[in-house]
Amino acid sequence: MAESILKLNNLRKVYIVGNLKTAKKAQKEIQKLHKKYERICCQEGTAYKEVEKELDHAQKLFSEEKYEESYTYLTRRGIKRGRRDKGVVVHALNGVNLDIKSGEMVAIMGPSGSGKSTLLNMLGLLDTPTTGQIFLRGKNVTSIKNSKLPNIRSTELGFVFQSFNLIPTLTAIENVMLPLKYSRTPIMERRRLAEEALDMVGLSDRMHHTPNELSGGQKQRVAIARSIVNKPAIIFGDELTGELDTKMTKEVMQLVVDLNKKGQTFIIVTHNPEVAKLCGRTITIIDGKVAK
Amino acid sequence: MIEIIKNMWRRKMRTILTIFGIAIGILALVVMGSMAEKLNLLVDGGVKYYQDKVQITSGTMGMSLVPLKLDTKAEIEKIDGVGYVSPIIYTTLEKDSSAVSFGPPASITAGDMNAIKYESFKMSLASGRRLTNDDKGKIVIGYDLVKKLDAKVGEKVKIRGNKYEVVGIWDKTFTAPDTSVSMVLSDGQQVVYNDLPPIIKSSVKPSDIVSGFVAYPKKGADPNVLAIRIQKQVEGITATGPKQFQEQVVNSVKMFNSIIYGIAIISLLVGSLSIINTMTMSVSERTKEIGIKKAVGAKTSSILGEYLTEAGIIGLIGGLVGIGLGALIVNAINTAMEKNGDKLFLLTPRLALGALAFAIVLGVIAGIIPAVHATKIDIVKSLREE
Repeated sequence: MAESILKLNNLRKVYIVGNLKTAKKAQKEIQKLHKKYERICCQEGTAYKEVEKELDHAQKLFSEEKYEESYTYLTRRGIKRGRRDKGVVVHALNGVNLDIKSGEMVAIMGPSGSGKSTLLNMLGLLDTPTTGQIFLRGKNVTSIKNSKLPNIRSTELGFVFQSFNLIPTLTAIENVMLPLKYSRTPIMERRRLAEEALDMVGLSDRMHHTPNELSGGQKQRVAIARSIVNKPAIIFGDELTGELDTKMTKEVMQLVVDLNKKGQTFIIVTHNPEVAKLCGRTITIIDGKVAK
Repeated sequence: MIEIIKNMWRRKMRTILTIFGIAIGILALVVMGSMAEKLNLLVDGGVKYYQDKVQITSGTMGMSLVPLKLDTKAEIEKIDGVGYVSPIIYTTLEKDSSAVSFGPPASITAGDMNAIKYESFKMSLASGRRLTNDDKGKIVIGYDLVKKLDAKVGEKVKIRGNKYEVVGIWDKTFTAPDTSVSMVLSDGQQVVYNDLPPIIKSSVKPSDIVSGFVAYPKKGADPNVLAIRIQKQVEGITATGPKQFQEQVVNSVKMFNSIIYGIAIISLLVGSLSIINTMTMSVSERTKEIGIKKAVGAKTSSILGEYLTEAGIIGLIGGLVGIGLGALIVNAINTAMEKNGDKLFLLTPRLALGALAFAIVLGVIAGIIPAVHATKIDIVKSLREE
């Protein structure tokens, strides 16, 4: 049985659009309690269970749009919704639990606006959850300081985006060297590793081309080379074949499958069932929850 | 670094204009500063010259063109603390000196050549020899007058209608002696006498005329105290000690310096606004790239460093261009003025390095706000940008 590489525990992401003060205040109290929970959940004893119960109840009230009750429950103080308190609460992720094993290739599917990309952003530490925990190789990364996150992103995680997201002024090899630059790998080592990565994706003859001199498929292969160059624990793909034609989609996905066979873990958000078919597991997200 | 230069070169025209903005500011600083440097050097020379002696004239301060009588020398010599008194002649090189000059105008100075024993302001010769009191009809000329007078050691030059043999050329001092012709007292007295109106000429002998005196204090005597004492005891003269010179000249030069540096710095600050504008535009154009860099692990400090370096490089290039242009202008004007034995500017390494450092620092400071803005860009939002 492969070890768990990424685990999500009751992950929530709430966006409050507009000036809904009651919801904002209630959410603030929930986050405070969540921090307290994170602090004590690793300690001995059962004190955390009481906090966990309180947190679940406050979140349940919040989910049911009972913001005043949620606030009063946590603070024992009253709060009234004013006439000007107008806005919308969006539950982008609403208690997601997941366990991804090392070497898995997982597809995340779901209709538009279901929370797939939000989930991917949380997993990739590009965004922070409102509450909940993310464990990367058993380590709770939600409690890590923001200043430490870039280091994790440059050494443990890789990203491939739909629109390639290469830096237009840099050549292919310079783009691939970026994560190594930020992880302070020595310059000679950077070049060697980037050349290896580009060779692996079949672009050793395009190293000194800038993105506008490459085809869509080649750009995406450069992006894949950039994502594997730091030998990350997980590579996240956000609609990585979204801008490619059928032939290029096959080429790129073949490359992804080959890398997965070598043990690389992939989590891919996609709308394309053909891409999902190539993945070992498909998780469907609907309304911010994992569909059963 | 290559990436930063590539980024700067993406919008060539904008970058060039920004660099030009800084370059103009630095140019102003270099040109104005060179003027101030020249003035400071003249004043420093004056301070050194005056540091241990008392200058006595009929005017308000320093050298005066109104002559005194030689009899006054004996009065001064009697005063307690006076070690030696040297009569001096000071007049302009040209009879009608109407040309505007920066610093002391081209002049003739004549005096007692024995006073050199008491003089602490030591001057060396570039070529030839010094004058002695017996060198009638001979001169030593200042470094900056060589071209103007087309002078060579051993040859004769014409001054005020008379020919004098050049026996020496002073080394460059960067102060008043550079534009001065030295001659023995009797020759100088004759030059001044020749200028006098006929009515006065009939009542004085050339050997009675002096422009002023230099009083050298006895060992241990304070020249400032001595100046006050001479002023009190001798009528119709002005005695200036080193402290008085400093108070009157140095303070007014400081004020002048503040004004010209102030003007230059204001123009440079205007230039720095163009850096803020350019960097702000760069950040807003590169929002997505900043997001990508953050996504692959760039720290806040890395992003901050990249933008501050870019702003610093703009300042550096602007500074180098400004110093280059400033040096060209300064040299061109100095060359044009050299014919008159005058130099308006002095571009010192201190000024050039200071201007360059200022340009870089200003560039970096101007880059702070846009760079901090870049660090605060939200990764998710920026990656969604088209």
